[in-house]
Amino acid sequence: MARSSGKDAQALFHSLRTAYAATPTNLKIIDLYVGFAVLTAVIQVVYMALVGSFPFNSFLSGVLSCVGTAVLAVCLRIQVNKENKEFKDLAPERAFADFVLCNLVLHLVIMNFLG
Amino acid sequence: MGKLLPVFVALISILPFLCNSFSPESPTDRRVLVLLDDFAIKSSHSLFFKSLKSRGFNLDFKLADDPKIALQRYGQYLYDALILFCPTIERFGGSVDVAAILEFVDSGRDLIIAADANASDLIKEVATECGVDFDEEPGAVVIDHISYAVSDIEGDHTLIASADFIKSDVILGSKKIEAPVLFQGIGHSLNPANSLVLKVLSASPSAYSSNPSSKLSNPPSLTGSAISLVSVVQARNNARILVTGSLTMISDRFFRAGVQKAGSPTKHKKSGNEQFLTELSKWVFHERGHLKALNVTHHKVGEAGEPSMYRINDELEYSVEIYEWSGTNWEAYVADDVQVQFYMMSPYVLKTLSTDKKGLYSTAFKVPDVYGVFQFKVEYQRLGYTSLSLAKQIPVRPYRHNEYERFIPAAFPYYGGAFSMMIGFFIFTFVHLYSK
Repeated sequence: MARSSGKDAQALFHSLRTAYAATPTNLKIIDLYVGFAVLTAVIQVVYMALVGSFPFNSFLSGVLSCVGTAVLAVCLRIQVNKENKEFKDLAPERAFADFVLCNLVLHLVIMNFLG
Repeated sequence: MGKLLPVFVALISILPFLCNSFSPESPTDRRVLVLLDDFAIKSSHSLFFKSLKSRGFNLDFKLADDPKIALQRYGQYLYDALILFCPTIERFGGSVDVAAILEFVDSGRDLIIAADANASDLIKEVATECGVDFDEEPGAVVIDHISYAVSDIEGDHTLIASADFIKSDVILGSKKIEAPVLFQGIGHSLNPANSLVLKVLSASPSAYSSNPSSKLSNPPSLTGSAISLVSVVQARNNARILVTGSLTMISDRFFRAGVQKAGSPTKHKKSGNEQFLTELSKWVFHERGHLKALNVTHHKVGEAGEPSMYRINDELEYSVEIYEWSGTNWEAYVADDVQVQFYMMSPYVLKTLSTDKKGLYSTAFKVPDVYGVFQFKVEYQRLGYTSLSLAKQIPVRPYRHNEYERFIPAAFPYYGGAFSMMIGFFIFTFVHLYSK
């Protein structure tokens, strides 16, 4: 039983990798960007766990900038993905413009809250 | 009639200034009522009264059962101190009674009580209310077969010589009393739980209290060093009470007598009674050991005025002036153990104040890192001195929003994270637009 589940896991992993390799490059770039944002958020949370939350507003601001960036990037990816039936009629330039504006607002708020 | 009226009004208006009573500005008592059993005491104790008069006291001698004596009239006290040299009195005359005497002491006025071998229950009751318990057995006196005074006439060892003084320069004066003190009378005991009474002259461990003419059937209740011969009480309102079990120790006969303690070869030409009682009377009548504290000030280091609020981690300075009454004027009090507490439920800061020897005590310290409503408290209680209890309230606030550093070092990783997100976004836009 164990051996078959081990083989199943390997087969699953392999199929995921091959499927992912088929995605277009620009989506892969967005995925990388999201990964970078989440990594930065995790680093900040670990730092806070070690040192304590003294300027709590700064901590929230830093983590929220990472999370906000990740969320906006994911939205961009959804809207730009050609395989997505829902956003077939949405021009990718429009999606990108929304992305840039939202990021501007996000960073304005973050700078204010950073202290 | 028209001319008399303005003269009369002018005279009446001067009257308040002619009053010669004690006040907080001049705490030495002035008018003293002396109640006696009979006027023979006035002459047999003349040396003591003469020393009081020479220090400026107005003594008013009255018989204890005189129907006209009164301690107060229309709510005003007529005297500043009371001396009871009437050990055998059964009932006071006039409006004086135990309650009136206790009210007198409660108002801050001083009292001297002298009992004797045949002391009445009334005198013993007054002493008990003051915290001193005389031996209740009638006819009991203090007997000491080891530390008695060698004498030609008194052979039953009721005349004792004692040198067990309390160790206090304030109460007994700075000059050491060389000769032992003669004592003949009843002993009393003090409650050890009572922190306000002090044993000034105690009996030797071989003393006991009993009737010399009757046989001892059961062991005496008062024995040894627990017997106090002379005690003082300093009440919480700083009234001072002196209680002694021997009226004869204050008499001229004992003042002038020589003394030789049994078993000791030294014969003193003069007993220590006069010095002992004169110094003690100076303490009881507030000529020594009376402190007052003035001018409590505090301010931030570098500023002059007293702020209404401090901030945490502020540097501040606190100062107070303490003076001691010398009998005629206020002099600077010099001591190195006055402390101030910065107190909120418990003292956060406790510092010893340093003095400039002119009465000014000051110190500087940093406000602790706790905010709330604090008090500057000085609680000073030393043996023989009046107690000082000062408290001044001051709130302490935390940092204001703009009193932190502009860039907090602990938050640098968060600043870094936010900026790295912005830079990453900028780079990403180029990569996203120009990649195929």
